[in-house]
Amino acid sequence: MATKKIEAPPPASPESKSQSANGSKVMPAHTGAKSGQPPVSKNPHGIPDWRLEQLPFHIESEWGDGEYRYKIVGDTSAPVPPLRPSKYLGKEQTIELFRYMIVNRRMEAVLESMYKQSLVIGELYQSLGQEACSVATAYALDKDDWLGPMIRNQGSMIVKGYQPRATMMQYMGKGDSPTKGRDSGSHYGDPKTLNVVAPISHLGDSIGVLAGVALGARLQGKHVACLGYIGDGGQSTGPTYEGFNFAAVQHLGVVLVVEHNSWAYSTPVELQFACKDLADRAIGYGVPGVIVDGTDANQVYDAAHEAVQRAHRGEGASIIEAKFMRMKSHAMHDSAHYVPAKVKEYWKRRDPIARMEQYLKEAGWMTEARIAEMHAEVERFINEERAVAEAAPMPGPEDAGTDVYFDNAVDIPVKYGEVRVKNANKNRKLSESSAPGHYK
Amino acid sequence: MATVTYLEAIRQAIWEEMERDSRVFVMGEDVGVYGGAFKATEGFIHKFGKERVVDTPISEMAIASAAYGASLTGLRPVGEFQFMDFISSAHSQIVQILAKSNWRWGAPAPLVLRGPSGGGVSGGPFHSQNPEMFYVHTPGLKVIAPATARDAKGLMKSAIRDNNPVLFFEHKFLYRRVKEELPLKDYTVEIGKARVHREGRHLSVITYASMVYVAQEAAEILQKEGIELEILDLRTLLPLDRDAIRATVEKTNRAIVLHEDTKTGGIAGEIAAIINEEAFDSLDAPIVRITAMDAPVPFSPPLEKAFLPKVEDVVREARRLLKY
Ligand SMILES: Cc1ncc(C[n+]2csc(CCOP(=O)(O)OP(=O)(O)O)c2C)c(N)n1
Ligand SMILES: [Mg+2]
Repeated sequence: MATKKIEAPPPASPESKSQSANGSKVMPAHTGAKSGQPPVSKNPHGIPDWRLEQLPFHIESEWGDGEYRYKIVGDTSAPVPPLRPSKYLGKEQTIELFRYMIVNRRMEAVLESMYKQSLVIGELYQSLGQEACSVATAYALDKDDWLGPMIRNQGSMIVKGYQPRATMMQYMGKGDSPTKGRDSGSHYGDPKTLNVVAPISHLGDSIGVLAGVALGARLQGKHVACLGYIGDGGQSTGPTYEGFNFAAVQHLGVVLVVEHNSWAYSTPVELQFACKDLADRAIGYGVPGVIVDGTDANQVYDAAHEAVQRAHRGEGASIIEAKFMRMKSHAMHDSAHYVPAKVKEYWKRRDPIARMEQYLKEAGWMTEARIAEMHAEVERFINEERAVAEAAPMPGPEDAGTDVYFDNAVDIPVKYGEVRVKNANKNRKLSESSAPGHYK
Repeated sequence: MATVTYLEAIRQAIWEEMERDSRVFVMGEDVGVYGGAFKATEGFIHKFGKERVVDTPISEMAIASAAYGASLTGLRPVGEFQFMDFISSAHSQIVQILAKSNWRWGAPAPLVLRGPSGGGVSGGPFHSQNPEMFYVHTPGLKVIAPATARDAKGLMKSAIRDNNPVLFFEHKFLYRRVKEELPLKDYTVEIGKARVHREGRHLSVITYASMVYVAQEAAEILQKEGIELEILDLRTLLPLDRDAIRATVEKTNRAIVLHEDTKTGGIAGEIAAIINEEAFDSLDAPIVRITAMDAPVPFSPPLEKAFLPKVEDVVREARRLLKY
């Protein structure tokens, strides 16, 4: 894929503050636990596929006993391959990433029990089986980079700097939640410090927003990576195309992680799109695309790291398709009876945390005992977070209807210093308009 | 007679229309094997097959566009939006193409776009909205928002049989809370006609959808004080039943317009203008609007409660108007 580099405009004047280069976490090229990378295959359209196995089955709808239902075509018994060794992650980073995955999972388990105790208001959305994808993609971001999460990316929010209590308070509608009880779940964000675009329900609507963030930053002389997610279902929306096409044509550093978790509510991917790999869409957009195993944190991280670095170099947008499975139902009210049991069994054996534990042990980076200790420590941590969240007050009625508008007396600062391009030609004056316009 | 919920009434209406008329078919996200997020089309796929119960990708734009396209071939599609909040994702198709179709090129568009709207369930700002007024402001559409199971069924049938694009705003708070006896035989309710939900002499509350029940609770409280509220349930928001609005105001000489939608640009302003045009001389007191706050719908229960219009608001304003 040809890459075109768009230079960030030079500083407007030598006096203006020079932006520090977007130095990412300095990471020596590592070969991971095992040396040597297994070869990367390509799909029929030439998209690199980093997975170490292909999905050996698909879903079809079947007519039987006077009803429609979904059935599996193919075999689900294949053995689980090892993780692909990471090209970039060393021991400490892998362990840190692993801990985030446990935090992600533990927080959601606690949220589920809180839901069952009626402490959660409304719906609860979970990401069991998706922790590697949320965590490893967000882990590839620098502090200055932006995140555009979706409803299941609470793990990404934690990596980006939120405490688990934030999501817990959101789900409880607490007055101290990031949105002060105005919105729920992972619908929160922070444009100032953590650089997270608060998601909205309307699927795909955040992608163009991330493109705009990258555009705004570039106009201020900075290349930020803006990493966002879209589901196998959500990618069917028009705004997905419109937003990402803009990022592609403007060579903006949007990293679109397509979370192919096999279901969109009750709809299997077979009813969502007609191609086999969503990464194929990269060809149409004119950006690089890659397929990874979404339960393999190493692959996910490496792909995200490369896409983020590309964004930092000003080379533009990328697509990462991560394939995995939504192990829970769409939300708590849903029993997910429509998912054939064998599909769940297949993916259960590919649990991202269990696979990572295996990898850490084989690398000699963590012992069984150390892993158990970490689980216990995280459990204590999450319980403390829960206690803080539960103790927080609810909002009062006097808070309703406030902050719909922002105070005009307060200045909104330019985030990255100043606009670098003021004039293309300083001497050009407003001339008299001569050409006839529309409807002349 | 059989007791059915508001939701079941809608489900029955669509089912019966699909049985009666093979031109009718449904489309939407998760409407097939799953039967829809709220189960409005549960079991339909097994009866009518996947050709007439079409599971769509997540694209309201595709649902609205394809419903319109199919209507051009003479079919009568019923498109479901999983939540009416997502109608905004199809806004351009609805207000630009469908609504103007007959007027612009003589291409009638007999279709229904339906789904759950409204709050009171801690759905937060994207699962609780009342977006009806964007469409009430669009000539060429018909807009319906029923309060009772009987009306939901009868109006759904009329909507499906109507030769124009109809937007059908169901209220999710009422889905399982409202239960009524419905006739077993086929019936319809005419589009564009309001209904007196409760007769009264002293003050009219003009309202629709779930606020009908807020007005009813207020009426029961006020009755003990000898104040008799008349409740007019609009049922159809476009076209509005001007005659019924005039008649109730002429009868009681006082009006509160109550709605769950936000105040500015809500239908209360339109109704106040209609009263001004049709029944100004009958008024003994100013027209009062009781609505949600001019803000997005909040998630947390204390906030949502403060945001939505309440029984106390109606009781207070009614007492005030009667002393006016
Ligand atoms: C525009 C729009 N239409 C409908 C919905 C309702 N909805 C919420 S999540 C969802 C399924 C999403 O599936 P997918 O994108 O695959 O994400 P996943 O739930 O699998 O993580 C649907 C239909 C929505 N949020 N936005
Ligand atoms: Mg999905």
